[in-house]
Amino acid sequence: MKESLMDILCDPLDKSDLELEVTDRDGDEIITGRLVGTVTGEEYPIEDGIPNLLPPDMRDDE
Amino acid sequence: MNDSTETADESDLTAAEQRRAVRERYARIATGSESASPDEESAGDCCGDDGGCCDPGVDSESRDSTALGYTDEDVAAVASGADLGLGCGNPNALASLDEGETVLDLGSGAGFDCFLAAREVGETGRVVGVDMTPEMVEKARDNVRKNDATNVEFRLGEIEHLPAADETVDVVISNCVVNLSPDKPQVFRDAYRVLRPGGRLAISDVVLTAPVPVEMRADPDSVASCVAGASSVDELRAMLDEAGFVDVAIDPKEESAEFVREWDDSLDLSEYVVSAAITGRKPDSA
Repeated sequence: MKESLMDILCDPLDKSDLELEVTDRDGDEIITGRLVGTVTGEEYPIEDGIPNLLPPDMRDDE
Repeated sequence: MNDSTETADESDLTAAEQRRAVRERYARIATGSESASPDEESAGDCCGDDGGCCDPGVDSESRDSTALGYTDEDVAAVASGADLGLGCGNPNALASLDEGETVLDLGSGAGFDCFLAAREVGETGRVVGVDMTPEMVEKARDNVRKNDATNVEFRLGEIEHLPAADETVDVVISNCVVNLSPDKPQVFRDAYRVLRPGGRLAISDVVLTAPVPVEMRADPDSVASCVAGASSVDELRAMLDEAGFVDVAIDPKEESAEFVREWDDSLDLSEYVVSAAITGRKPDSA
């Protein structure tokens, strides 16, 4: 995902802001990292450039 | 789900069962084990006996996407592998996209509609696809590379809980997906929330024209294949009104019976559903 698209992202649970933690990037493109809900504290992984913003209860049954 | 839901109507699937059926089916399609994709040509029927939301043509050459409202130019413009033939219309044609707009696609699949939208909104615009099936999002991401698209992104997410901030989107599009949701009113409420004032909703989806038999409603395959979960025009209108949309138009396409009929080998599904163009607008002053 592109860092420049952070402004339209939000926590799917309560729609509050997300904080980006980058592990690996390629320019503006975030390859690995995580998004953390500033209110919920929920962690959403970014893997292979794809942020997983499924609600936590749905991630479990993958 | 809890007991009270099950006893309320034992014939209906629970939300969890419905989501699982949908995810499993679309994962199979994305990975080619049940596929209309030209890349992973499979010997078996695309739709087999569970049918729905999917053209039985095995490859893109034999599939007629123009029946859904795409032009030949649309089909040629996107690298192969993105058009899985899972739609029931062309939401971009309904959306009248302008240069620079931000578009959100609910249930983006392999990304075909996103790539078409990306051409319309250009470099200054952006398109985000949300899909709850990991296999589909991976396929869509691979298609970003194939299409050299710089203004399209995909994320794993649920359309009832969109990971998009309030009032950040100009147009919400969706193609044959909302009917799959166990909570459609919530899908429309969340779509309304993410739209900017004056933002548009442009959806192609199936609508119910006759009651679906009880045994079909309880069949996960029928739900996953866009038939048993569909709502009537009146129900959809009520949901859209309740969400706050104005200028709501739901236009059933009678001619869609031709391709709906091909969704299943044994049943004529056009007896129950028809494809419709569903449009609405968030008021300017909202």
